[in-house]
Amino acid sequence: MRIGDFRQSYEHDEAIWQTPTSRAWLAVFFVFLSVFPFAANAYIVGLACVLGIHVISSAGLNIMTGYTGLISLGHAAFMGVGCYTAAFLAQRGVPFFLTIPLAGLMAALLGLVVGIPSLRIKGLYLAVATLAMQFILVFIFREWEPVTGGVRGVNVPAASLFGLDLNNDTRMYYLVAFCATVLLVAARNLFRTRIGRAFIAIRDKDISAEVLGIDLFRYKLLAFAIGSFYAGVAGALLGYFYRAMTPEYFTLALSIFYLAAIIIGGLGTMLGTVLGAVFMTLVPELLRSTVSLIAQWAPRATEILSPMQEVVFGLLIIGFLVFEPHGLVEIWRRVRRTFHLWPFRA
Amino acid sequence: MTQSAPDATRRRILGAGLGAVGLSAGFALIPAIAQSGEIVFGAAPPITGVFAFAGLALHQGLGDYCEWRNTKGGIAGRKIRYIGEDSGYKMDQAMSVFKKIMGAHKPPVFYGDSTAWAKAAAKEISQMGSVLTCSPSFSSDLADPKNVPYYFMAGPTYAAMCEMLLEYIDRTSKGANKPAVAIVYSDTEFGRDPIPATKVKAQALGIPIVQEIVTKPGSVDVSAEVAKLRRAKPDYVIFHGYVLAPIPEFIKQMREAGMSTTPMGTIWSMDKTTVDAMGAAAEGWMGVLPYRYSYDTKDAPTMQLIKAYTAKARPQMQYVPTFYTNGWLVGMIFSEVIERCLKAGKALTGPNMKAALESIDNWDTGGVTGLLVSLKGHQIASGRIYMYDAKTKLLEPASGWIRTA
Repeated sequence: MRIGDFRQSYEHDEAIWQTPTSRAWLAVFFVFLSVFPFAANAYIVGLACVLGIHVISSAGLNIMTGYTGLISLGHAAFMGVGCYTAAFLAQRGVPFFLTIPLAGLMAALLGLVVGIPSLRIKGLYLAVATLAMQFILVFIFREWEPVTGGVRGVNVPAASLFGLDLNNDTRMYYLVAFCATVLLVAARNLFRTRIGRAFIAIRDKDISAEVLGIDLFRYKLLAFAIGSFYAGVAGALLGYFYRAMTPEYFTLALSIFYLAAIIIGGLGTMLGTVLGAVFMTLVPELLRSTVSLIAQWAPRATEILSPMQEVVFGLLIIGFLVFEPHGLVEIWRRVRRTFHLWPFRA
Repeated sequence: MTQSAPDATRRRILGAGLGAVGLSAGFALIPAIAQSGEIVFGAAPPITGVFAFAGLALHQGLGDYCEWRNTKGGIAGRKIRYIGEDSGYKMDQAMSVFKKIMGAHKPPVFYGDSTAWAKAAAKEISQMGSVLTCSPSFSSDLADPKNVPYYFMAGPTYAAMCEMLLEYIDRTSKGANKPAVAIVYSDTEFGRDPIPATKVKAQALGIPIVQEIVTKPGSVDVSAEVAKLRRAKPDYVIFHGYVLAPIPEFIKQMREAGMSTTPMGTIWSMDKTTVDAMGAAAEGWMGVLPYRYSYDTKDAPTMQLIKAYTAKARPQMQYVPTFYTNGWLVGMIFSEVIERCLKAGKALTGPNMKAALESIDNWDTGGVTGLLVSLKGHQIASGRIYMYDAKTKLLEPASGWIRTA
């Protein structure tokens, strides 16, 4: 049982991993991430890649919406910008370690444009403005054929590192895991800086923040740019993962998916981002696996149970929102508290 | 005390939720039961989602073919095992199902769910070189043995379907002037796919395209578009890229405007259930379908078999949709390819199955298609024009079978 957590300096107080136990768990987690592809089959590794991409994109949206209070319904379109930028550059021989950050920067640049109205409008009005951007960008993806390939989509050459093509799920896994780790650590650290604290102040009360000397315009634009950068990187990774993409992928439904992920996981926490993305990605997969398993004994069960999966998934989302409005992260915290205080009651 | 009760209930419910998820995870980790010697047919049909209207029947058709084939001894004495998981018509999900089934069962054949899936999976499939694939997509980009070597379609491309419609218009035209045609299509990959080829074919036949209209897939208000059609005065309007809406609204407004234009459609707008749903607008509806309808069983032993099989196995199915026929035909082609490989003593590899597929020539489908089939070009480039008869409420043949180049 842990009975105390003494902090004797400001550095210690600000540390992300404050105890030897948490640092040990982190080390175990990294070892697990490293050996995971050797222990899992291609399907699970492929799923982990998709999950990693969703985590990065959700983190971007959480920076905008969860931490800064700027609702965005155009996040999927920024992923599209990243994906098409990466495809365009990769087709011209630019290596992936340049295309990925450049894809993020291109999305960030467009994020700045979308962020401009955020000074004058907020809440639902801002959501509608970002929704408009979602449609405008998808329209551009469909129509700007020389760059985006139009409705037929684009092919993305495989990423290559020192002559080694990252053309299978295991190789892509390490790229996605690396990007996800770096970006999550960066996001976590962002909120220990003046910029991150300014974002939180804007979310809590923008007028008060301005009175405190925070330049609202600058920081709101910055939040949009950073969030869009994450989406752009996620989009580039998605392109490299599938190696082909059509505009129909970056729909409003995908933007809603990310919004749902951060709400279910927990707004304004990076751990919540991860948990929300895990929930939204893996639960439908698990439900489908259950149906598939039942279908081994009752082959026609798929016909009846497949539509039921959607209902069960919807009910699970509603259930978690009703019974734990603070998100999955709050459940996680409670579980941790229980273990910390065991055998006494939390 | 009074406050702890709801809290405890909440925790119990959350616990139950997490437990259910955990149980599902447990199920997912149990390895699938596999028997040696079985040939697995993998599939990711869109049983839910926007394509569910066809996806369930596609799944049923392919699954039922496997069941029926097993009653006849399977393929070269080996039983077929059909494993289909819902794709939800989402590319991510379809890819995930594909990877999962490929990883667990290594099927030699796989049926996907869409153009997006086929394009996204194409590189991986080429790299694997161990699986032959098909899907409900008839996108022109996919009938490409060179660039998409392990994909075929159980019908003509959308471009070929539109070419058949133009052939029909050309053959039935009277007088010196060719009939004028308008094209109305949805602003999607599906909708735009055949348009360039259609224009080229129309030009070759000397058929004037007098109007070209692009709409959203399910648009409702089409009055402005109908006004354009009124001005253009086409003899035929070819609708493509839709299942139902906005076709009935177009036809209704065209009729109200006194136009005598004949509306035409392509495969996904041609199932009887879809045409029935058009109501009064279905009168005079024409279109192209590569198969016979399930009620057209004369001299078509496979259609008779499908009718008899569904009557026994699915008594609740009053009408067998064309989507079911498509699934059944895909099963036939998969089996034919595998049988040819096994009989030749060849392993079920991608190149061997591709060669077996391309060796299918003058193949009799038992009347599912009207002409003998060749799959050299990875598509069945034939079809027939049908017209809706309001009296019988059936789609009746309006032409003989047409084969495109």
